Amino acid sequence: MLSESARMSSAAEARFRIDAPNSRPRTIKVIALDQPSERVIKDLAQRQWNSATFFTATAFGDAPRKGESFAGWLSDLAGRTKNLVEEINGADLVVMVAKAGENAQAASIIGEACSLKRVMTTALVLGGNSISDEVLSKTLAQLRPWSLMLVIASAEEYIADMLTALRA
Amino acid sequence: MLRKEQNDLLTQTGPGTPMGRMFRLNWVPALLAEELPENECPPVRVKLLSERLLAWRDTQGRYALTDEFCAHRGISLWFGRNEDNGLRCPYHGWKYDHTGQCIDVPSEPEESGFCKKIKLKSYPLIERGGILWAYMGPPELQPPPPAWEFVNVPREQTITTKRSQECNWLQALEGGIDSSHVSFLHRGDLNTDPMFKGAKGNQYNLSDSRPFFEVVESPGGLYIGARRNAENGNYYWRITQWVMPTFTMIPPRGDHCVHGHFWIPMDDENCWTWSYDYHPTRSLKESEVNAVRGGKGIHVTTIPGTFRPVQNKDNDYLVDRAAQKAGKTYSGVLGFGMQDASVQESMGPVVDRSKENLVSTDNGIIMMRHRLLRTLKAMENGETPPGIDLAHQRVRSAAVVLPPDQPFKDAAKEAMIAKPGVAPATV
Ligand code: FES
Ligand SMILES: [Fe+2]
Repeated sequence: MLSESARMSSAAEARFRIDAPNSRPRTIKVIALDQPSERVIKDLAQRQWNSATFFTATAFGDAPRKGESFAGWLSDLAGRTKNLVEEINGADLVVMVAKAGENAQAASIIGEACSLKRVMTTALVLGGNSISDEVLSKTLAQLRPWSLMLVIASAEEYIADMLTALRA
Repeated sequence: MLRKEQNDLLTQTGPGTPMGRMFRLNWVPALLAEELPENECPPVRVKLLSERLLAWRDTQGRYALTDEFCAHRGISLWFGRNEDNGLRCPYHGWKYDHTGQCIDVPSEPEESGFCKKIKLKSYPLIERGGILWAYMGPPELQPPPPAWEFVNVPREQTITTKRSQECNWLQALEGGIDSSHVSFLHRGDLNTDPMFKGAKGNQYNLSDSRPFFEVVESPGGLYIGARRNAENGNYYWRITQWVMPTFTMIPPRGDHCVHGHFWIPMDDENCWTWSYDYHPTRSLKESEVNAVRGGKGIHVTTIPGTFRPVQNKDNDYLVDRAAQKAGKTYSGVLGFGMQDASVQESMGPVVDRSKENLVSTDNGIIMMRHRLLRTLKAMENGETPPGIDLAHQRVRSAAVVLPPDQPFKDAAKEAMIAKPGVAPATV
């Protein structure tokens, strides 16, 4: 007699995999950390997304000092000020986008808020393959402590591919 | 998640398919040299990239990889008589040489020259490192022989096995670059398997089961780094290599051998899992060779006379629920290799990737697919895919402790290039 595993892993049986959604949309916040990344994100925001929203942290160069509030530290792409903690509160994932060689110090503020709220973080570094390792290492030093996953991508299109793969 | 068209594009490798074309531009492992042990030995049936082929070795030791079926009325030349510099079909006596050229049609007058009009499709087959490699692409694009370190070190430093796996090549590859499953699926085996135990790095692995990941594009494919905390604020990195389309190299542990895989499609629902173990600077110990032969490490035991694993889907992989409950194995299946194969086969022959829910730690997989798809596009414009350049093949995985701010593609640059006689970077 055929074993259960043999019967169940056939192509014929694969057709009977239940055809019902097995997830609900995730809330994903994509935040540009610098000007060049902001341009990339603005393009991206034009496309259709289920549940991704796009922000920039570039307008607020100076980090709040200890004890100072995070409020008003983020803005949407139209330039309206947003409350960082509020935005992160409901998120399943925060994606930070940085251009290698740019100042990514905003990562620590966002990262701290995410770790406070137990939100998963991913950092995407663009242009890391076309820049000296010394410059890249400065960006990495700012991102690493705050990114559970860090990707150094050569093609800007990777962000869109990643968001699609994550059902954003 | 992948849309159906993308999934089809990446999983289909038969003649005329884009992904099949990428495979065909490379030398792919076809069979172990020991399968054709001597001149005029019995031929071996090989299915590769959805093509039925026959591998054989003629009177002078020339390797042949030809169409499996006789041009006359289509019987399998597996029954052929391997004699006098050719393979003769036992049905009506047509005979072929190692290039597939027909050299005798007994029923026709020799003067007619009829046999010159008959030629079986054939592909170059060469031996390197105990493996017979096939090149199934256009002759004018045939690259130089493979430069992978494990096939070019002295024979006593390297050993390779193969086994059949009953699922599409891509889901097997995805398992190979998915570092985050090790702490679960293989949890029980890290400190007991003879091919892994005792390395200092294991302690970092076991004391920190939620590593940080870093995915970086490399010239030939990807570096996938898993980072854990080491002493003095440093990081312990394990860096896996993926080279397009299907080569992986797992980071070493201590002075153990280094290992990795190729997954080569037989057809779209089956693949060959090739597993190698080698040491860049020393001979393998007898105990290591025995461990490999005994199915330890990433290898498995196969049914004698075949390359089918002893634990297979027909016997439910000999799943042991008591061992699972007791925590000896995490899934109930024994051994690294079959733990991987069993879960991958359970996904079905070609998994429907429109139903998956990837998460952030799957970025290695997402990037691998992204690079393959991008490369397929670039190939439309005549570009050569990564992985064919021999420099892309001279790579190593690494296990290193580095300061916190260093990009590993810089700090571990030397460690990730294969240099003859240079010891691997390993913890
Ligand atoms: S937890 Fe990964 S496949 Fe189920
Ligand atoms: Fe595995």
